[in-house]
Amino acid sequence: MRALGIAATGMMAQQTNVDVISNNIANSNTTGFKSSRAAFQDLIYDNQTREGALTDDQGSTRPTGVDIGLGVRTVGTVRLNAQGGLASTNNELDLAIEGRGYFTVNLPDGGQAYTRDGSFQLSAEGEIVTLQGYQVDPGIVVPDGTVSVDINEQGIVSAYIEDDPVPVELGQLTMTTFINEAGLRPLGNNMLEATNASGDPVQALPGDPGVGEIRQGYLENSNVDIIKQITDLISAQRAYEMNSKAIETADQMMSTTNEIK
Amino acid sequence: MDNSTYVALSLAQAMERELDMTANNMANANTAGFKGEHMIFESYLLDGAGVQEGEDISFVLDKGSFLDTTQGPVSQTANPLDLALLGQGWFSYETTDGQLAYGRDGRFTLDTQGNIITLNGSRLLDVGGGSITVPQDAGELTIARDGTISSATNGVLGQIGVFDLPDLQSLERIGGGMFVRPDGARAPLQVSSVNTEVVQGSIEGSNIEPVMEMTRLMQVQRAYERAINLMNDEDDLRQTTLQRLNNVS
Repeated sequence: MRALGIAATGMMAQQTNVDVISNNIANSNTTGFKSSRAAFQDLIYDNQTREGALTDDQGSTRPTGVDIGLGVRTVGTVRLNAQGGLASTNNELDLAIEGRGYFTVNLPDGGQAYTRDGSFQLSAEGEIVTLQGYQVDPGIVVPDGTVSVDINEQGIVSAYIEDDPVPVELGQLTMTTFINEAGLRPLGNNMLEATNASGDPVQALPGDPGVGEIRQGYLENSNVDIIKQITDLISAQRAYEMNSKAIETADQMMSTTNEIK
Repeated sequence: MDNSTYVALSLAQAMERELDMTANNMANANTAGFKGEHMIFESYLLDGAGVQEGEDISFVLDKGSFLDTTQGPVSQTANPLDLALLGQGWFSYETTDGQLAYGRDGRFTLDTQGNIITLNGSRLLDVGGGSITVPQDAGELTIARDGTISSATNGVLGQIGVFDLPDLQSLERIGGGMFVRPDGARAPLQVSSVNTEVVQGSIEGSNIEPVMEMTRLMQVQRAYERAINLMNDEDDLRQTTLQRLNNVS
């Protein structure tokens, strides 16, 4: 009787499902967060009677077989890369990306990470940094005496210094795109890193063909759809209960077996 | 007369297998593109030696299992590479070990070369049986209802193949939502003639009906108990017989 093991894989899958859904709900107000979903596939099959086996010596073959599946497994968590809504903040260093692409973050260890969270700040040296204090590529420094910073849709950063009515161009923010965004690995702190699955990072500038544009004074909301998460949570719970019912039935059947005299 | 225990045993064994199958259906209640599997029983008439006219014995035989091909519920995900099929057609894939497989699981992603692949790395095939490649700078992808895939910058990239599987019930399940021909034959693909639509940004869910599976679970359990009771009754009968014979002697 394999039903115990099969139903156990079902319960484990639903646990993973609930974990992923809870993380989405917990991050429903996280800037630039992309919701994930657990993806399941059926496990291997035990082909007890093979399709196409000969049934007589005249060459007749069996049209169907007996395929007993051995449960379910989680193949991955798939990130949904849909655009989140934009929320106005009026903060001049809050940037949202409208379209594809990621801001490039230079990590202190020399590596690079990628983020959609554009809530930037200035460091003590005037450099544009993330909330963790990591440099935003290419490391634009806002000079002393800057009154206001203007960042256009192409990511060109210019500063109005003191009383000068003509802005000074400081540099252009870079962006990175990937052939398979779903293959990026989340690092936490709203950052992702490149993997073999995502493909090599492709340097781009905001507004390039197929690359998003920068919106100054806005932040990208999380794209978590709460109503969908709640309904998924309900369906996960019911599926979990259903599997536990299968375990209960298998257990009772085994207990019946033990009653044979 | 000893046969009745074995007839009951054949029922008990068949019920165990049906329980396994039902448990697998339930375990896959949230698996995208999953199709339920159900058992077919038949009676196996024994007309061998020792059985007289009018005393045929029929054992239960689980002859085969069949695939429930009903459409699963379609839910929206907004992911451009999530595709649901509406209708009876099937996607075809080339698995990582080169097998030609069919399935309804439409959760796709891209590999580093830009090929459209499933979550376990099998390539999605187009109408001609080749893989579909999305260029790096493709931008937003649009997939039409007939499977034509196009991008904002590169125009039409190909047409996703949706195929008819007339011999579906004879296909072997290999897990991962995939079906292969049992002899491994790469029979020519038949482009779908029925009106199967490809719906972008949606996923076809599992077609398991929880109510049906739960009732089946109860049925299986009771039938199993009945079989066991029959064995016990048979045993009682034999015991009584032996006691009586003992008294006579």
